[in-house]
Amino acid sequence: MTPCPVMVRCRVQASASELHRVRRCVDDAAAAFGFGSTERYEFVFAVNEAVTNAIRHGQPFSDGTIGVWIEADEDTLICSVSDGGQFEAGAEDRDAWAEGGRGLAAMAQVMDEIELCTSSNGTTIRLHKRRSEATEPDD
Amino acid sequence: MIVPNVLAPNVMGGVVGSFYLSEHTAEGDVHVIRIGGYVDFDVAPQLKKRVVQRIEAGEQSLVIDLSDAGFIDSTAIGVLVGALKRLRESGGALAVVCDNDNVRGIFEVVGLESVIPLHRTREDALAALPAPVA
Repeated sequence: MTPCPVMVRCRVQASASELHRVRRCVDDAAAAFGFGSTERYEFVFAVNEAVTNAIRHGQPFSDGTIGVWIEADEDTLICSVSDGGQFEAGAEDRDAWAEGGRGLAAMAQVMDEIELCTSSNGTTIRLHKRRSEATEPDD
Repeated sequence: MIVPNVLAPNVMGGVVGSFYLSEHTAEGDVHVIRIGGYVDFDVAPQLKKRVVQRIEAGEQSLVIDLSDAGFIDSTAIGVLVGALKRLRESGGALAVVCDNDNVRGIFEVVGLESVIPLHRTREDALAALPAPVA
């Protein structure tokens, strides 16, 4: 089995001020993968939501960071966001007037598959998005 | 490892780290808050603080102008939902200006395109607001 090429493997401080760096890094990877502009935007949006959730609701690893790992698997780009916390699934707030609680559902809207993995070491969310055949990669 | 934070255009339609917020009064004494750059969890507290200040100062209606925003996340949209809720409770209204299809798409993705009124131009947003109560 051929290992997936890893495009990005980084640790970022679990701080909101790091979000813009993550977006830039993810956008570069999405462009290199060949996503069209809408797919890139959606991919970056979903990863931003996942990292935001890890910062807001998760726990950083002992060095104060969370992990962001992007790999390509044939026509699918996968981003894994890991933190040291123990995710507990709860019902997202379906009240139209709620100020929060929409992140996970929003990620599911724009990604093809979402995996949520929890272990004693922490929580990882894996976001999968396939490249459209009709996509014309941006320059 | 991650790339340095350089100010360069990318797919998001703006520049990295270019968030700004400005305010002025438009015709009809409507308060307009203009937001540019990336509107995310990092800057949502600034947006919320400014919006709450205006509501507590007695503004009946607000226009949030996202014309220069290249990105918005669910946290920042949540701030707008909270603002709209508070304004409606006092008989006011909120209108959002957004002509960026990517940003408009995020409102749809979070399921709020029918809750938060989006307008392509500031003129349309101002026209959609109710006349101020004397």
